Amino acid sequence: MDVYSGWKQPSWMVDSKRMRMTLNLPWLLSALTLLHLTIQAHSLKRGAAQDLKCTTKNMHVWDCTWSASAGVSPGTVKEVCIKDRLNSCHRLESTNIKIAALSPGDHEVTINYLNGFQNKFTLNEKDVSLIPDTPESLNLSADFSTSTLHLRWNDRGSAFPYPSNATWEIKVLQNPSMEPVKLVSFNTTLSGQDIVHHWNWTSDLPLQCAPHSVGIRWYIDHHRFSGYKVWSDWSLLKNISWTPNSETNVFPQDKVILAGSDITFCCVSQTKVLSGQIGRTFCPLIHLYGENVAIRIQNISVSENSGTNVVFTTEDNVYGTVVFAGYPPDVPQKLNCETHDFKEIICSWNPGRPTGLVGPRNTDYTLSESISGKSVAFKRFETLTNESYRLAFQMLPGQEIHNFTLTGRNPLGHAESAIFINITERVVPHVPVSLRVKDINSTVVALSWHLPGNFAKINLLCQVQICKASSEQEVRNATIKGAEGSSYLVAVDKLNPYTLYTFRVRCSTETFWKWSKWSNEKRHLTMEAIPSRGPDTWREWSSDGKNLIIYWKPLPINEANGKILSYNVSCSSNEETQSLSEILDPQHKAEIQLEKNDYIISVVAKNSAGSSPPSKIASMEIPNDDILVEQAVGMGKRIFLSWHPDPNMTCDYVIKWCNSSRSEPCLMDWIKVPSNSTETIIESDQFQPGVRYNFYLYGCTNQGYQLLRSIIGYIEELAPIVAPNFTVEDTSADSILVKWEDIPVEELRGFLRGYLFYFQKGERDTPKTRTFETGHSDIKLKNITDISQKTLRIADLQGKTSYHLVLRAYTHGGLGPEKSMFVVTKENSVGLIIAILIPVAVAVIVGVVTSILCYRKREWIKETFYPDIPNPENCKALQFQKSICEGSSALKTLEMNPCTPNNVEVLESRSIVPKIEDTEIISPVAERPGECSEADPENHVVVSYCPPIIEEEISNPAADEAGGTSQVVYIDVQSMYQPQAKPEEEQGIDPGVVAGYKPQMRLPINSAVEDTTAEDEADKTAGYRPQANVNTWNLVSPDSPRSTDSNSEIVSFGSPCSINSRQFLIPPKDEDSPKSNGGGWSFTNFFQNKPND
Amino acid sequence: MYGGINEPAPLCFLSLLPPLSPAAPISPSEPISQAYSLALYMQKNTSTLLQTYLQYQGSPFSDPGFAAPELQLSSLPPAAVSFKTWHAMDDAERLRRAQGAFLALTQHLQLVGDDQSDLNPGSPVLLAQLGAARLRAQGLLGNMAAIMTALGLPIPPEEDTLGLVPFGASAFERKCRGYIVTREYGHWTDRAVRDLALLKAKYPA
Repeated sequence: MDVYSGWKQPSWMVDSKRMRMTLNLPWLLSALTLLHLTIQAHSLKRGAAQDLKCTTKNMHVWDCTWSASAGVSPGTVKEVCIKDRLNSCHRLESTNIKIAALSPGDHEVTINYLNGFQNKFTLNEKDVSLIPDTPESLNLSADFSTSTLHLRWNDRGSAFPYPSNATWEIKVLQNPSMEPVKLVSFNTTLSGQDIVHHWNWTSDLPLQCAPHSVGIRWYIDHHRFSGYKVWSDWSLLKNISWTPNSETNVFPQDKVILAGSDITFCCVSQTKVLSGQIGRTFCPLIHLYGENVAIRIQNISVSENSGTNVVFTTEDNVYGTVVFAGYPPDVPQKLNCETHDFKEIICSWNPGRPTGLVGPRNTDYTLSESISGKSVAFKRFETLTNESYRLAFQMLPGQEIHNFTLTGRNPLGHAESAIFINITERVVPHVPVSLRVKDINSTVVALSWHLPGNFAKINLLCQVQICKASSEQEVRNATIKGAEGSSYLVAVDKLNPYTLYTFRVRCSTETFWKWSKWSNEKRHLTMEAIPSRGPDTWREWSSDGKNLIIYWKPLPINEANGKILSYNVSCSSNEETQSLSEILDPQHKAEIQLEKNDYIISVVAKNSAGSSPPSKIASMEIPNDDILVEQAVGMGKRIFLSWHPDPNMTCDYVIKWCNSSRSEPCLMDWIKVPSNSTETIIESDQFQPGVRYNFYLYGCTNQGYQLLRSIIGYIEELAPIVAPNFTVEDTSADSILVKWEDIPVEELRGFLRGYLFYFQKGERDTPKTRTFETGHSDIKLKNITDISQKTLRIADLQGKTSYHLVLRAYTHGGLGPEKSMFVVTKENSVGLIIAILIPVAVAVIVGVVTSILCYRKREWIKETFYPDIPNPENCKALQFQKSICEGSSALKTLEMNPCTPNNVEVLESRSIVPKIEDTEIISPVAERPGECSEADPENHVVVSYCPPIIEEEISNPAADEAGGTSQVVYIDVQSMYQPQAKPEEEQGIDPGVVAGYKPQMRLPINSAVEDTTAEDEADKTAGYRPQANVNTWNLVSPDSPRSTDSNSEIVSFGSPCSINSRQFLIPPKDEDSPKSNGGGWSFTNFFQNKPND
Repeated sequence: MYGGINEPAPLCFLSLLPPLSPAAPISPSEPISQAYSLALYMQKNTSTLLQTYLQYQGSPFSDPGFAAPELQLSSLPPAAVSFKTWHAMDDAERLRRAQGAFLALTQHLQLVGDDQSDLNPGSPVLLAQLGAARLRAQGLLGNMAAIMTALGLPIPPEEDTLGLVPFGASAFERKCRGYIVTREYGHWTDRAVRDLALLKAKYPA
């Protein structure tokens, strides 16, 4: 864990500095001086003495030396004389002399030797070099933590004329190289006093890494000294070296530096350092003094919270340090100071760019107020990113003006922002609390709330937000004198009685800065007030005319001004006033027994606050005889009514309506319309289509209501739901009189617009006449648009004919159902008689005329239709037939012999065509193979069946033998039979001919003649043939002895089987097949080839 | 990810009950069993603690596979011991060493927690895990004291293992120190599990 470090200045750096320094001015001056003096000496040479050189340390005394000439020993000097000076000769025995400074100008100096030699020089101040004493550094110290060297020295200025300028040069050497790593010169002024000077220098390389040495020299420049100014010698080097005093050996430790800057880390080690890395990056090692190494980091990036690690690895240990790279604090942004309560000022700001430094290196903020001189500090270890910082500053009583300065400070620097405020203009009150509402009257409430804070010196501006339940919202401002920690009270007027309000409050100050947050909401129901008017009232007389029924409507909430508890109804005439008991609210109707007299009915609504003004209505209507009933049809659920303005109507119009089918008194509802209106739209959810309503328009005068119009109407017309009930009043042979009845209003469902009458010939049960098809030509249609017509005569009908009559009613809503009836017209008797008599008469006349004609032409008729029949005995019979027979020799049916009519012999021959239907089907099982050829040809035809087989075509047997191959026939187990091939081969039939489809059977014909030709025919049979040649079955049966014959090309399996039964017709263990060698039924044989041999 | 620190550690609080009276001869199996359970529970979280710790120290600490076994703290006895030596110890010696180690660990974990409050003040996860580890180490100490009492062994006095060392340490030393402490915490927990398993076998319930 110990950290050691050390380093070596790179040699290239040392060299470059040296090169630069050696070309400096003092060096140049020295060289020039030397050159000049040499020239002078040569010029003054009279004898052996040469090179008079004078220097001075302090300009008061010159120290001159010269070298003796050859052959003259230095001890032989006699005296030195300066020509233009009193006591100008100095006796001496050496080659140097100290003389007081000479005045400017040339002075002749003569050096006399004992041996008489004499040297003469010209001495001028310009030739004198001013070389001050080597400076002595008093002290060299080092601050290792900052890698800073401190040098102190005394300028010994008291020894020099003043003011003089001193130029100093300091060099810093870094082991092991003795070249300076730093050479710096600067000027001071000598003031005639000894002054101690300081010089600080901060090393890039931590001082711990290598020993450092410092030297200093100087030269003096005095304006009255015209000679050469020459550097003094370097002082003795002062050394600084670090003695390891802790376990740390990597430097610098825990340094905080500006991100983006360069830094050198070194490791002091006794053993070889293998690698150096910063974070994850390995860096090239720079070798310093001993095993000490360094790495140089350029443009270091911002560290993470715990810093950037720098690690050196040796063979046996790990050394490291941490560097914290970040930024100085950004200028605090958005600095804002405000107060909530005049007790403390909250200042908030945004820190700006993150510094990348946390913990002890994080930015400390100080908020100081310059007027009061107070300050507060802010410190936190964690870095808040993009978050506002806050500081609270306790207010001093009486101070309004504040001059705040916020300073952020971290190890890398500081930044500040200032703000100058009058705190009374920066007030954001706290949220108002304890909001209360108190009733004053039904339209005014008092609102009170508490606002913490001392606002005694200012006025508060508060807003009251008033929300009604109907979500309409109003904000009222109120200015209140501020107080300290007080409750505030405002009255809110112009409210509606008995209304639920929601209040909330927020406050600011008159010098507005910001609103506080809204307080919590407070709901409040205002007090009740008396209803603002009486209810809408109507009255109807009962059907018997003895009772008056009074109706009224509940007041809307904004006019009820409270909860309506009851109604008072009274009626007054000139004589008396009759009052009913209170009627509780949900009931909106009252009935009073009255004479039919003029009364004034008044209705009053009452709530807890009191009674409404009465609404009055006269009990009797003003008669109006001039009333027409009109019709109206509405749309949707509304109906439109309009009327002519009537100047007599002073108060208003009332439209009442009811369902026309209800009994009196009929009142569904009513509406009042202002007297200046001439139209209205009546709308009600109760309206239904197809229902007839009566609407009555009343006008209001001072004397009462008068009926002005009566209207029947439908919201929407529908088709009738019943057909008109019609009957046949009268029927004649050619006409029918039909009569029908009205449809009841409820079933009509609209205004009746007419009837449709169809008729058509037709019987009751004829489907055709069941319905009338549109466009049918037989249908006759009558449209009766006169709805008062109740009868119809249909003329031009046929007598005794059935007619189908149909009647339908229709409205604008459509056609109603049909009613049909069948009527038969009566017979027409005259026509019937005529219809009988005329045919009878015609028949008689035709009979008479025919008889006469037949009688007159009887001979011709006889000749034509009844000629005489000749006697057959006198006839040469069949002569014309013979000639016909002779014409066709092919017809042998009649063998015409010389006509001997008495002896005709007819010959018949027997057909040789066999009748297949009659043949007997014989199973092959029953037929023995050997018997086939012996079968009686006349006896029967053998018909056999075999199931269809799959047969591989048999190729040339010779080829098969040559190839040693043979065919295996795979046969369905149920159809393991292979007929035909073998027998045909045995019979010498070319297999090629046999190829192709094999007939299912062949029916041999049993006639002796046919028997021999059967085989010939088989030769030619290449196409479809009967199923099998039953004669050949025995040849190919696997059970037969021959089937084992080596001649057999094809191994056939199984036995013939019935195509119907699918049973093997020959059982496997037939006694006739004892030689079955296993080629028959085992599965193995399916794949086994029978050897050809 | 850091579920380990939020898990309740019920076992550790059981062990923080007042020490039993030394005079009462009780069976050592129960405190051994408790201590063993706690040590097993601690063992599950030690690698999480170490990984979390290293993750917050920056590279090369946070590099995958970081290990510096050569780093040691003189104030913290290393858990590594040759098997022969360990095997040759008697129960009292093992308990005494483990007890001393966990005593030192609790103090060092406190120190590391303080160090990290400076270096990683915005890392509550790390600070919480360090705090939890310290509590568990204290719990195990209590359990071991109970075992030693039950076995009739003298309980070594608590001593300040840290001494004057830590306050001037550089940030790098603090990071290394924390690494060694969290690493040795894991090693000592592993060793304690073995110690206690041996004891448990010797004193079955």
